[in-house]
This record gives sequence, C-alpha cells and structure tokens, in this order.
Amino acid sequence: MEKIIMLLPLGVPIVGTLLIADKKIIKDEYVTKFVSIVLFANFLLVLTSLFGNPLLQLHVLGVNDFLDVYFKIDQMTRVFALMASILWILTAFYAFEYMKHEQRTRQFYTFFTLTLAVILGVAYSGNLFTLYAYYELLTLCTLPLVIHTGTEEALSSGKKYMIYSFAGASLVILGMMILYSITGTMTFMPRGIFNDLSNYDQDLIRFSYIAMFLGFGVKAALVPFHSWLPNAMVAPTPVSALLHAVAVVKSGVFSLIRITYFVFGASVIKAVNVTQYLIPFVVITVVMGSLLALHQDHLKKRLAYSTISQLGYILLGILMLNPNGLVGAILHMINHAVIKITLFFSVGAISHMTHKKYIHQISGLGKKMPITFICFTIASVSLVGIPPTNGFVSKWFLGVGALNADNLFYIFILLLSAFFTAGYLFPISVTAFFVNGKQNAKQQNAKAHEIVVEASLEKEAIETSDHSEQMDHTGASIASETLDPSPFMLVPIVILTVIIVGLGIFPNVVINFLGGVIADAF
Amino acid sequence: MQNLIKLIPLASIMILMLFAFVIPLLKKKKHVYKLTLVIMSLVTVINLIHVVYIALNGGYLFDVGHFPAPFGIVLRIGEVESGIGLLFCFINLMVLWYSYFSLEKEIKSNRIGFFHTLDFLLLASLLGIVFTYDIFNGFVFLEVSTLAACGIIVVKDKKANIKAAIKYLILSSLGSGLVLMGIAFVYSISGHLSMSYIHEALIQNAEGKHNLILISMILFTVGLGIKGAMFPLHIWLPDAHSSAPSPSSAILSALVIKAPIIFLIKVYYLVYGTTILSGTVVLDLVLFLGVLGMIFGSLFARSQKELKRMIAYSSVAQMGYIFFGIGLGNKLGLIMAIYHIIAHAVTKACLFLSAGSFIEQTGYKTIDEFKGIGKEMPVTLGIFTISSLSMIGIPIFPGFISKWNLAMASIESGKILLLFVLIASSLLNAVYYFPIIINGYFGEDNLVGKVFNSKIRPVRTLLPLIILSVVMVLAGLFSGFIIEFIGRGIYI
Repeated sequence: MEKIIMLLPLGVPIVGTLLIADKKIIKDEYVTKFVSIVLFANFLLVLTSLFGNPLLQLHVLGVNDFLDVYFKIDQMTRVFALMASILWILTAFYAFEYMKHEQRTRQFYTFFTLTLAVILGVAYSGNLFTLYAYYELLTLCTLPLVIHTGTEEALSSGKKYMIYSFAGASLVILGMMILYSITGTMTFMPRGIFNDLSNYDQDLIRFSYIAMFLGFGVKAALVPFHSWLPNAMVAPTPVSALLHAVAVVKSGVFSLIRITYFVFGASVIKAVNVTQYLIPFVVITVVMGSLLALHQDHLKKRLAYSTISQLGYILLGILMLNPNGLVGAILHMINHAVIKITLFFSVGAISHMTHKKYIHQISGLGKKMPITFICFTIASVSLVGIPPTNGFVSKWFLGVGALNADNLFYIFILLLSAFFTAGYLFPISVTAFFVNGKQNAKQQNAKAHEIVVEASLEKEAIETSDHSEQMDHTGASIASETLDPSPFMLVPIVILTVIIVGLGIFPNVVINFLGGVIADAF
Repeated sequence: MQNLIKLIPLASIMILMLFAFVIPLLKKKKHVYKLTLVIMSLVTVINLIHVVYIALNGGYLFDVGHFPAPFGIVLRIGEVESGIGLLFCFINLMVLWYSYFSLEKEIKSNRIGFFHTLDFLLLASLLGIVFTYDIFNGFVFLEVSTLAACGIIVVKDKKANIKAAIKYLILSSLGSGLVLMGIAFVYSISGHLSMSYIHEALIQNAEGKHNLILISMILFTVGLGIKGAMFPLHIWLPDAHSSAPSPSSAILSALVIKAPIIFLIKVYYLVYGTTILSGTVVLDLVLFLGVLGMIFGSLFARSQKELKRMIAYSSVAQMGYIFFGIGLGNKLGLIMAIYHIIAHAVTKACLFLSAGSFIEQTGYKTIDEFKGIGKEMPVTLGIFTISSLSMIGIPIFPGFISKWNLAMASIESGKILLLFVLIASSLLNAVYYFPIIINGYFGEDNLVGKVFNSKIRPVRTLLPLIILSVVMVLAGLFSGFIIEFIGRGIYI
C-alpha cells in the first residue's frame, strides 16, 4: 500500500493522459474539467506521498546494477514536487481560458498532463539513471507543446529545441558513463557518493562533472547553449510560462543541484577545484542574458532572455558551494518560477485580449488592463530585487553566499545584472502606464514624416490629425470598459502576485523548509 | 529425451531445407502461407525449448552422423549459438507472418512460393553458419546464404533489384573467395578444418608463421566484413536493402548481415584464440572500421531522401557498433557486440516492416512525402517511433543498453576517447530519425488534408509488428538476464 501511495503521483497523470487522448472516453466539452480533476487529485496525492507516507524510497525495477529505476523522497524532492504541482494547477486554469481559441486543444492537454508526470518523476528520482531517463522523456513530452501551433516556424524551433536537448543529454550520459566506471554507483546520497577522494582519478571526476554540468546546463539555458529558449517562444503562452518557470529550465537547475550536492558533494567539487572552469560560463550567462533582453521589442522574447540571465544567478548560487549560496539558489529557483510565470501570464493576457505582442504597441494599455499591469509591475519589481518582494530575499542570500565565498566579483555581477533587470523590465510598465496612446501615435507619425516627401507634408499632417482624433475616440470608448481578462485568467495572475509579495514578507516559511536540503547537502 | 533435444539444431536446419523444396510443389498460395507459418512456428518453438535446455544444462558438441571430430562435421552449441538461433527463427517467423498480409502487393503472385523456398533455404544456411564448428562447413553455408539472399532481393523483378542483386552477388562472391583463401591458409598451417583442432595446431605451429596467420586473419576479416557490411565494404547494402521487398529487407538487415559476424567472432576466438589475436593489429583494425561505420553510416543516412535507403544506411552505422564491440577485444565488448546483434535485429526488423507498411499503404517512397503519416497511420508510426527511440538510445530500450555497456567496455580497455564516438553517433541517429517522427505526427501544413486513421491497417496485420516491438522493449528490460546468458557462453 505504501508503495502504491508513493507511485500514485507518478502514475495518475499518465492514466489521465491516456483517458484524455481518447475521444470516446472524454468528450470535448469535459476535457478541461477532467484535466482540473486530475491535477487536483494529483496534488493531493503528491502531498500524501511526500508528507503522509512512511516509505521514502522504492526500487521499482532493478535490471542491472546501473539500470535501476529507483525513487527516493528527500527535502529537495519535496521542494521541487510541491513547486511543480502548485504551479501546474494555476497554469491549467489560465490555459483553460487562453486555449479556447487555439486549435487541437486535446493534444495540448494530453501532453500538458503527461509532462506533469514526467516532472514529478524528475523530482522523485533517487539515482542518476532514473533522473536521466525522465530527463530524456521530458524533452519528448514537451516537444509537442513547443510545436503546438504547427507552423513552419514552430517546427523549426522544435527541431532546434530537440537537437539542443539531445546534445545536452548526450553530454550528461558521457559524464554518467565516466562516473559509473569510476564509482560503480549513481544513487543520490547526502553529501555525495565519494567517501575517500584519494581512491579515484581526479581528472576523471573533473571531466565527468564538467560534462554533466554543461549537459544539464543546456536545459538550464547556460550560454552558449541557450539559443533554443528564445526560439521556443513560438509555443502558446501557458507552455512558455511552464517551460520557463518549472517544466524545463528548472528541471535542468534541479538536476544540477542533484549532481553537485548529492552525487559529487560540495567537498569533492571544492577539492578537485573544478568550478573555475564553469564560473566563466555562468557569469557570461548572467550578463549576456540581461544585455540581450535589453533590446528585444517582442514581449515574450524579452522575458525569455531575462530567464537566461536569472538562471545564471541560480547556477552561480549552486557553484558558490556554501550553505547560503545554495539557499539563495533554491530560493531563487522557487521565486523566479513564481515571478516568471506571473510575467508570462500577464503578457499572455495582453496578447490574448488585444493581440499585441510588441512593447511599442502596448503604450497606454495600463489604464485599460489595470490589474494585469499592476501584477506585472509587482513581479518586475520583485525580479529586480526590491523589498518587500521575494526576489529581494533570494538575491540577499545569493549576496551573502558570495561574501561567504570571499568573492566580491560575484556581488558586482549580481548588482550589475539587477540594474539591467530594472532596465529591461520597468520600461514595459512605464510604457503601459505613462506613455499614452495618442502621443505614441504622434511619434510614429513624426517618424513617418521624415520618410515622406516634403511635398505631401501638409496633406499628410491633416490626414494624420484626423486619424489620431479617431484613435482618441476609440481609445476613450475602450478605456471606459476595462480590458482585463476573464477571471479564469486573472485569478491565477493575482494569486501568483499575492504569493510573490507574501514570500517577500514571510520568507522564513520557505527558508525553514529548505533547512532540510541544506542539512543533506553540507 | 536429452538426445532428442540435442538433435534440435540439426533438425531445424534439416526441416527448413526439406520444406524449402516441398513448397514449390504446392499449387495454392494459401497452402504455401499456411505450411510456411506452421513450419516456422514449429522451428521457433523447438529452438525455444532448446534455449531453455541450454540455459539449464550448458552447451555441448554435436557430431553430425556420428563421425568423431577431425573427420566428421561437428556443431558447437552453446549459449550464444542457441540464443542467436532462436532470434533468427523468431524474427523470420514474424517477417513471414507480416508478409502473409503484404507480400502479394510487392511481388508477383506466382513468385510467392519461390520467395518462401528461398527464405527457408536462407534461414537454414544462416542457422548452419551460426551452429557450425567446422570452418569449411561454415563456408558452404555462407555460399548458400549468399545465393538465397540474392534470390530474395531479385524476387521483385524490377531493374533496380536486378542491379542491386548483381552488385551484391559480385561483392559477396569476392567475400566468399577471400574466406576460402583464408581457410586454405589456415589449413596449410594446421591441416585441420574443425575449429578446436585448428586452434591446437596453430598454437603449436605458430613459431615463425606469424605473417601467414596474420594474412589468414585479414582474409577472414575482410571476407566476412563484406558480408557483414563493415564500413568501407558496405557499398552493396543500401541498394540491396532498399530495393528489395520490405519483408526481404527486414530479413536481410536483421539476419543475413548478422550471421557472418557470428562466424567471424567464432573464427577469431575459437580458431585463433585470445593469445594469437591479441598479438596482432586485426582487432584494432576492426575497431577503427567500426568507428568509421558508426559515424559515416549515420552521416550517409542523414543525407538520404528515400526512407528505406535511410534505414539501410542506419544499418551500416549499427553494424559499426557491433564491430566496435568486437574490436574492443575485452569480454564485455564481445558480449555487447552479441547483445547488439540481438537488439539491432529486432529493432531493424520493426523499422523495415513499418516503413514497408507506409510505402505499401501510400505508394510514396521519399521521406518528404511521409509528412503527416502519423495522422493516417498512427499505430504504425508509433511502432516506428519506439524503434527509433531505441536506435537513438533512450534509456531502457536495448539501444541504450548497448551504448552504455559499450562505453563501460571502452573505459575498461582504457580508450576513453571512444566515448565521444558513441555519443556523437547517437546524436547523429537522433538527427535523422526525429524529423520523420515530428513531421509524421505534428505540423499544421503536414496534417492538412490527411484524414485520421484513413490508411490504417487492420490490427491483425499489425500484430507481428506489435509483437516485435514488445519483444524489443523486453530485450531492453531483461537486458541483465540476456547479457548474463550470453556471458556464460562467450568465447573469451
């Protein structure tokens, strides 16, 4: 019975998926209801198996010494599984509304539910082999979501995503092969599997760690393996949000925490002195992500590059190899998930209601969609790291971790990137709230004037003034009725914003919870 | 009872040979199909019993016709031989079952009896190659298999088939000639044809004859390498495999190129033995050519336009894995080479048969034309997908097990750089298999005008494919057991 309880969260979504996939069993109009039931039920099952079940580890299928499907629950599992299940439910409700006008919703919900099972599998994995198997499955399950629209662009992005992911997975398996050949075990253990370092070839350890770090780094959008992420923006917004917040990039981060602290162990990594090769990648990721985000006009792309930079923070925290750095990394993993999903939902709401996808188009929208934009602004504030939001807390711990590592350069990087973050997020809110539509239209016309030949200038001026007057009227009529999306979309956004502020004011809830992870890792 | 069971290897060969010549006597096609399926099932079942017996009691030597060894022909039946024998019978059974529903669409109906005759002859000779302990006997079976294989290529009498068959015939005869010369060299040194006697004589007379031994080894390697599609000698394979009717392609890819490799392994370890072998460069050569095959086979596969040609080139790459395992020269490498023979045989049979169904149902040939096929034939593309995932090396599938253990074997032999080759090759596999699947299932433009399930085949015609894919997954899941079984009978 205990075994079944432990496996249920991994199995129920798969059963749900099979049912959803069949038109005869679940009729079109019941799909969304069924998805929500499955997700809620699974959330309860996750809670039961994480907290109410005495059984904490289970060998499902031991084929060989290495081919061993093994699940184990520890504090890190709890953190990741809870984060995924909660955000999944919120995304589902958002998607119910958002996907109404899309094609092939059944296919979407099928893979959406299936991906949850895979993500939970990543969380529950008790050894590197199981993690790897789920990691590969994750690529396969999310691919149909990325190429959901089915356009040529989507297919080529999907191809890129696939190739990058498999290249990364290949690097991971390279590292795993070497690791297994020197240690003979791949089970996750607190403080790592190496007991006595002198028995092992240090070059091989170093090589194995670098290979795995870069391999998992592909999913965590480590520069120079990041370019699949902005391309994957062609997916529907709920998918992008999930890819960024939990599903894909965070599973990369989670795997990195696993290998760093539960396979190799912080002391071994310090002893073989391998971080010096990886820090440059991470620093470049932080800075380059921000810089690239600065000049994106496409809203979702800007957020995508922002994700790259923020993931750099998390990786930096992981590589600091001290307790505060790790707390900062895990906190930022959670906080960034919440923040980024809010930002994406807001942007999705904008494009869903107004079909506007570029920053220059949204001027003045703040008055028409006040709640959406207020949430967006709060999330931006949090991502920059201003109290009393949760972004501040995680950056604080990252900063303390940097000080513990005696490295002022890290702090400089953190502050610089926070500055850039402000630089690329605040203009969106400013444009929405304070630049009004009329001015903007005039500016655009002014640009047009430069191009147009002088002769027709006078005529043009009259026409444009007429035009802008018309626009004014329509703008006024729209402003009277708010454009905020329907509650299905709005409520998840508001809940997430409340979480952002709540975690900023009461961070100890999470920090105490992370105590278990720190105890395991150091 | 024991004696009866020990008759099984010989009996399988005899039954197949006998019924090969009964088939042409039957007038009605229905009878041909029924008879072949019954006989094939019978042979498969007795081989299964045989494997169980071997698993319980271990291997044995069997004197054909009660002549003792130096004079009579001896069969050497161990874990590897019986396992491979069962594999060949099982795959042939599945392919024949599949061809029951589709063969007539590809070849003329008066050729059906002919096809089955050739198929039985082919299988009998392949079993002979696997079981034999006598190199000349092996050579005879090799020749029979070459001719029968030519027959099942040319059974569909298109121009391309005749061309491919002639190409295969010429190269394969060259290979046989080289093998015969190798046998002559070995005979001149040792004066024997039975493997164990040659081995003893070679050990005793090796002094001062290293060059002769090396030449004979290279002759065997190249000769059997041609038949086993070793990389630069593979040129006959893509034409033959892609032009033949799909059941023939499956047999050619799954069985015909595998038997010579078993023979090669037997020659290496039973005739020459580890001590002589490790003193030469032959294994390094095999390893090198295997590596080249893994990389270039995949690169060529990537640039193919026709689906079946692509799968055929993928075979070249997969044979590279097998040569890679042999070339590593340690026990794990050799076990994995044999495991990969099993894994690849099942997987490739699946791939060729599902590709055959696409071609049969749509009439298209090139990869581009199969866009959106997943909507029309979801189950078949599903089987294709599972098999491709195995080729790419997704965990738990047999392809992954091979790759992982080959990596372990290469680390064991101190050649870490080879890991990169393994990784690169699996990545290349992903590059050419995934687009077919993605374009098959997804994409707005691809699916326009395709009607869901419009070209689906009835489930009973897909059953052999489904069984094959289930067996493939099981071969991955129970890889520990299979590897242990092979390891008991391995020659090192």
